[in-house]
Amino acid sequence: MTPLLKIENTVSGYDEADVLAGVSLDVAEREITCLLGANGAGKTTLIRTLLGLNPIRSGKVFFKTTEITGWPTHEIVRLGITCVPEGRRVFPAMTVLENLRMGGYLNESKSDISERLDYAFTIFPKLKERVGQLAGTMSGGEQAMLTIARGLMGNPELIIFDEPSLGLSPLFVKENFRVIQEINGQGISVLLVEQNVRQTLAISHVGHVLAQGKIITSGNTETLRESDALKAAYFGG
Amino acid sequence: MDLGFLAQFFVNGLVLGVIYALVAVGFTLFFGVLDVIKFSHGDVLMLGAFTALATYLGLSDIGVAPGVALILVFVAGIAGMAFVGAIVCKFLVLPLRGAPQLNTLLITLMFGTVIRESVRLFYPSGSNPKPFPKLLPDNAFEFGNLTLRLDSCIIVLLGILAIIFTQLFIQKTKFGLAIRAVAQDEETARLMGVNFKTVVLLTFALGSALAAVGGISTGLYYQEINFAMGLMLGLIGFSSAVLGGLGSLYGAIAGGFLFAALQTVGAVWFAVPAYKDVFAFAVVIMLMAWRPTGLLAERNEERV
Ligand SMILES: Nc1ncnc2c1ncn2[C@@H]1O[C@H](COP(=O)(O)OP(=O)(O)O)[C@@H](O)[C@H]1O
Ligand SMILES: [Mg+2]
Repeated sequence: MTPLLKIENTVSGYDEADVLAGVSLDVAEREITCLLGANGAGKTTLIRTLLGLNPIRSGKVFFKTTEITGWPTHEIVRLGITCVPEGRRVFPAMTVLENLRMGGYLNESKSDISERLDYAFTIFPKLKERVGQLAGTMSGGEQAMLTIARGLMGNPELIIFDEPSLGLSPLFVKENFRVIQEINGQGISVLLVEQNVRQTLAISHVGHVLAQGKIITSGNTETLRESDALKAAYFGG
Repeated sequence: MDLGFLAQFFVNGLVLGVIYALVAVGFTLFFGVLDVIKFSHGDVLMLGAFTALATYLGLSDIGVAPGVALILVFVAGIAGMAFVGAIVCKFLVLPLRGAPQLNTLLITLMFGTVIRESVRLFYPSGSNPKPFPKLLPDNAFEFGNLTLRLDSCIIVLLGILAIIFTQLFIQKTKFGLAIRAVAQDEETARLMGVNFKTVVLLTFALGSALAAVGGISTGLYYQEINFAMGLMLGLIGFSSAVLGGLGSLYGAIAGGFLFAALQTVGAVWFAVPAYKDVFAFAVVIMLMAWRPTGLLAERNEERV
């Protein structure tokens, strides 16, 4: 079966230096695929490159059977890819509702938008009380909820999370993982970038470990859990 | 000094304030979406006024009624400058992204000079001031010794409508939402599916169309335009935008009216009208030394 997302031999970086030295990775339909790796391994760079925010230096990216290498970002996300970016990037001067509207920017169906709004509010009831609040004035945890809810407003087939639990309190982290699993339960495929190894492996189907711009090991989560390469990636062993 | 006399100054100040606000809103929009200063803005305003004048002359040759001409003159100026604004953005501003911002400032400064000198050289006897047609009814109402001219009122009203329209467009429409998204976080806006280039081009078109409204209003008010009018209006509009906090829509509007108020105070105070600009700029310089980021310092929450 063709994977939903296929990344082949991707090279990309900043200025003179390459950060990704030929990364290949597949995301299968309806699964949670995780990408693990220490700080600075190149995880965010990979996400940015496949979404067209960073130029790709060589390699190819496919969504289903369509090659999207070099496409502008807005054309890529139109295919049904949503990204919850690193660092809780809400639109600070917009209200919660306007942020959610932005998430549904490409969604042309008014009725679908209001259904999705209801769905987002059932997952995060707290957001419903805050619809009129400026996103920039919310706490970090609330902003994290908002970026996830915003990601659900389109009609994604694939959601990419870039370290959604970074800097959150343990309670929020746990809640985040639960929500990601629930989203996946709706049939949406997930590419989950995380540093939180234990909890990530607990909900993922397959995983890849990135170190210094290379995938050093891949496999299903049981094998990864025992993998020495994974330990090495984090503890520099 | 009697009250009617002061009221006259007040009305004059309102007209100027609206015109400055129209120019300042453009500066703030461009800065909002791209963090750039487009220095050809004043000359685009002048070009808008000349486009309107040329359109009027063409229309009067074929005998179009003044009322219809008034509307067509605005349409031509607005559409023409919206187009020019988008072109400047596409060919001079967007290609310079990634280069130091100073380069954008310089290239648009040079382009403004090209516009200005071209009008001077290629518009028939373009170096002389041109009479601008009296297209608005100039009925005057007398209230004691205050004379209120209808054309001044219409100019103020039109300008305010243009500003309200812009404000509603940005706050209430989906495209306006996209403009604000780009202004707040360009990359995340693109991740939401916003076509960044289209939004930026449209924002430049919108800001330049407002400059055209300002230019035509200036012509209608003074019944005269000249090739260099954009220099002062551009500088004042820019100062107004900075005074209000560059990037903030309300700040730009407030800045425009504040500058006009300063000029008015200067004119009344010194009784020699020529001193009004020196006074206004001197106060603005002091205000900027006091509040370097503008009176309504740009907070994230306020940005367009
Ligand atoms: N904007 C940038 N400019 C230059 N280098 C960058 C930039 N962003 C990241 N890098 C570098 O690229 C490498 C990978 O970073 P990143 O992809 O953010 O890693 P991760 O998400 O795995 O923590 C790091 O060495 C980092 O310093
Ligand atoms: Mg990262």
